[in-house]
This record gives sequence, C-alpha cells and structure tokens, in this order.
Amino acid sequence: MTETAIQPKKDLSERALGALLLAPAALLLLVIVVYPIATLFWNSLHGVDNANVAAGEQFVGLKNYVTAFEDDRFWGSAWHTILYIVVTVPGSLLVGLGLALLANMPFKVKWPVRLGLLLPWALPLVFAGLIFRWFFEYRTGVVNDTLMRLGFEPLSWLSDPDLAFTAISIAIIWKSSSFMALMLLAGLQTIPKSLYEAAEVDGASKWQQFVEITLPMLRPAIFVALIFRTITAIQTFDIPYAMTGGGPGDSTETLAMYIHKTTLDFLDFGYGSALAALMFVLSMAATSGYLKYTRRSSGRAGED
Amino acid sequence: MPFGLSRRATVWIAGLIVATNGFFPAIWILLTSLKTETELIRSPITWLPEAATLHNYATAFTAQPILRFMWNSFVVASLSTILCVLVSALAAYALTRLRMPHRNLIMSVLLAVAMFPLIALMVPLFKVMRELGLLNTYLALILPYAVLSLPVCTLVMASFFQDIPPDLEAAAMVDGCTRVGALFRVIIPLSAPGVFTAAILAFVNAWDEFLLALTMMNRVNMRTLSVGITLYQGEFAFPWPLISAALIIAIVPICIIIAVFQERVVGGLTQGGVKG
Repeated sequence: MTETAIQPKKDLSERALGALLLAPAALLLLVIVVYPIATLFWNSLHGVDNANVAAGEQFVGLKNYVTAFEDDRFWGSAWHTILYIVVTVPGSLLVGLGLALLANMPFKVKWPVRLGLLLPWALPLVFAGLIFRWFFEYRTGVVNDTLMRLGFEPLSWLSDPDLAFTAISIAIIWKSSSFMALMLLAGLQTIPKSLYEAAEVDGASKWQQFVEITLPMLRPAIFVALIFRTITAIQTFDIPYAMTGGGPGDSTETLAMYIHKTTLDFLDFGYGSALAALMFVLSMAATSGYLKYTRRSSGRAGED
Repeated sequence: MPFGLSRRATVWIAGLIVATNGFFPAIWILLTSLKTETELIRSPITWLPEAATLHNYATAFTAQPILRFMWNSFVVASLSTILCVLVSALAAYALTRLRMPHRNLIMSVLLAVAMFPLIALMVPLFKVMRELGLLNTYLALILPYAVLSLPVCTLVMASFFQDIPPDLEAAAMVDGCTRVGALFRVIIPLSAPGVFTAAILAFVNAWDEFLLALTMMNRVNMRTLSVGITLYQGEFAFPWPLISAALIIAIVPICIIIAVFQERVVGGLTQGGVKG
C-alpha cells in the first residue's frame, strides 16, 4: 500500500531532476544548433537585390532555390560530393578492413600497430590534405619520384581534373580508413575463437572461414562504420580545400566548399543559406537511415 | 601460412604494413623539414636529408606566430572540453541512472542533432556570432566545439555509468548524500576512466577542427593551429620544408596525447562507435 503511494511522487521528482540535468545539454543544442538551423531556412528566403543594394536583405521567397536548380556550379559540386562518397566510402571500408585484419594478429608488442592506426585518425584533416599535396607535387613529390624510379612518366596529379580527384580520394581514404580499422578491429575481437576452431576441425580453408564466419559476424560493425563514414563524406571539405582549393577550375569542388565560398567569399548570404539548407536535407536523409537502423537493432536486442 | 611464410614472419610483416601506413606521411614530413630548399628541388629527389638543418624550425617560429596559434588551440580545446564533459556527464547520468520517460528518444534526438552537417550550421552560426559580436573571440569556437563532441562524450560516459551497481549509489544516499551529491561523489569518481576518455576525445576533436575555425576567426592572432598552418604557403609558392617544419611542431602535442593515452583513446572511439 505505502509503496504504491510513494512510487508516483518519487517518479515525479526523478523526472524533475532528470529534466534539470538534461537542461544544460538542451540549452546548448538550442543555441548552437536548433536556433541557427531555424534561421538558416529563414535566411534562405532572403536576398539582396543587386539593383537596390541599399535596401539590404529583402524577402525573395523561393528565388534562391530556383537559382540553385539552374546553377551548374551547384550541380557540379553536388556531383563531385556524390563521387567522393561513392569512391571513398567503399574505398576506406576495404582498406580499413584490410588494416583491421592485419592489426588483429597476435603481436607481442602492441603499441606500434595501435599508434599506426591512431595517428591518421588524430591528424587534423587539413594537415593530411597538406601532406598529400606535397606527396603529389609534380616535380618534387614522392609519388612521381617513385613512378619515375619504376620507369613510368610523371603525372600532373593536381592540375588534371581526373587525376586531382584520384589524388584527393587517395588522401581521404588514407585519412579515414584507420578509424574504420579501429571500429572493425573492435568488432573482430568480439568474435569467439571457438567458431574458428570448430571450422578448422571441419576442414574449412582460411578464405572460407573469412567468408562464412568473419564477414557475417562483422556485419553490425561494418554497417555502423559505413554510416559514420557516409555522414562525414557528405561534408567533405578540408582535404580538397588543402590539396587543390577545388581546382583545377571547379573540378574537385565539393558542395561544402561551394557553400563556404558563396557565403564567405562572395558574401551572398541568402544563396549560401539556400545551398546549406539543401545540403542539410541531404544529410538528414542519411542520418535518419542511421537512426532507423540503430532503433531497429536495439529493439531487436530488447526482444531477444 | 600464406606464401609459405612462418607464422612469426607473417605477424611481423602485418605489423610493418600497418605501422608504415600510419607513420610514413609523418616520417616523410619530418625528413622534408630537415632539408634545404636547394636540396628539395634536386631531381631525382633525395630521401634522407644530405645536410640536415634545423633552419626551417627557426623560420617556422618567426614567419607566423605559431606559438600563438598553439595557445589559441589549447585555450579553445581545453575550455570546450571542460564544458562538454560537464554537460554530457549530467545528461548521461539522467539518461542512464534515472527513470526517465522516452529515454531512447532523447538519446536519438541528441545524436541526430549533433550529426547536423557542420557546413549547414556554419552559415547561420556565422551570422549569429557576428550579431552577438563574438567573431574573433574564443567563445565563438568553444560553444560549437562543446556541441560537436556532446554525443560521443555522452555515449562514452553513459556506458561507464551503466556499469556501476545501483547499490553503491543507494548506500551513499542512505548515508545522507543527495542524488546530485551521489553523482559527484560516487558515480563520477568511479567512472573516472570514462570521464577521462570522453575528455581526450573532445580535446582531439576540438584541436583538429578546421571549417568553423576558418570561419569564426579571421584575425591572424586569433587563428587556431589547424588554420594557422595553412598560412605558411605563399600565394603561388609552397615552401615545403618550412610547411613541414610547422606541421611537425603542430602534430607533436597530438602525438604525445595519443602515445600516452593510446589504450583509452582506442577504447573510447570503439565504444562511441559500436554502441552508437
């Protein structure tokens, strides 16, 4: 009797305390994320009339969005962003999986391997971009030097659109694959050794063990890693910024770079906001896919 | 074993591949930083510097205020880390130890909000900060960086908080602690490794960030390290030995952090990822 009488009151105070403890996080998100995003959509409906600059920003309705759909540079940068996603997400998964399998060997001394995976992760993206720009320099870069030592012609990596895209993709894959590897390595270490021992007894080859045990057991880790990587790939900015600045021409420019230029170099706030809003919608689609997956998997864990 | 290699040799080669992949760029930059401009343009290029010089390091300190950049990065990264850890500790506690309605929903919203693309946030945030007169102040970066690491810190700490037996907290409260008192006197001390891991991740995230730093700080002496390093390049010329020296100076603090706390960092990263 007394218990049922006390329970609701205790619940209430726990609720109040919970709300109080969540308040700082909520406030921070409100000021830094929710309010700016709300103004983003509002700003995207405004623009400066070139014929009447003195009037300042005027309400222009959906004009900025119409402009975007007719803007080749917008479509170009969106297309480059998609290409980076399509190339570097599977690329860093494959390289990351390779690194994880190698790093999962029974090393006596663990730190060189661990640091070898941590250093690329900890390096700022823009530093990785600068370093790879140096690697791909035409006359003095180590890549062309290696090509020439092997008897090939040097390539003009950063001044040819396709080669620049390739070089940037290589840099992105190098930078992101080690984080992939760390996540996959954690997944690998949860696979029970007994599964492999049983397969060994049944006479399964190493390759069969990889396909039949490792890959299926690693699936959740791979999925999470892919989603994380896709969300960061949508925002690709630092590495192409440092390596080519979007060039030659606009051939390696990403959506994020174009938005940055529009807003801060061309100072076209309304148009920049419209582009950012479009990008926001694009990445929310990816995020909601991710949330749907985690919701489903945690729901499944609850049922089991 | 593949290719008829002994098991030991296979392990050695595997380790060598992973370590080389991770270290080669840093080693190459280190070698470049010791070369002179004249040695650099020789063809074919030299691998090891012929006459190693520290001249580039001396120039790196005078050509740009690199120590000032470092100080700015340090102030911004440490203050945003403190703010982030504090805020996410409270949130993680509420979400794991209290019987809250819609816990999972709140957690999902927290994650979703923090996954907003930074560039979409940057455009309006720049305007907000300009209106508040906060451009070129530390606050313009501290607040966004605290949000940037909020999800991963909350996840890492939540997973540590979850493992503490409820009896310990109950015992503290019987002894006269309030709930919040129990949080600070029992839960947080017991999950110190988790709090620490969260702090390292938040610090590295803030130290590495580029886009917001580029946008919010346009005065040279307010630039952070990640942006400051790009100032060493000329309009058309890239003085690679000088840039390399500056890069080496800039990555020393990160290298120390990951070398000292490597196990924690790996644990925190995979926890944030796998559980997220």
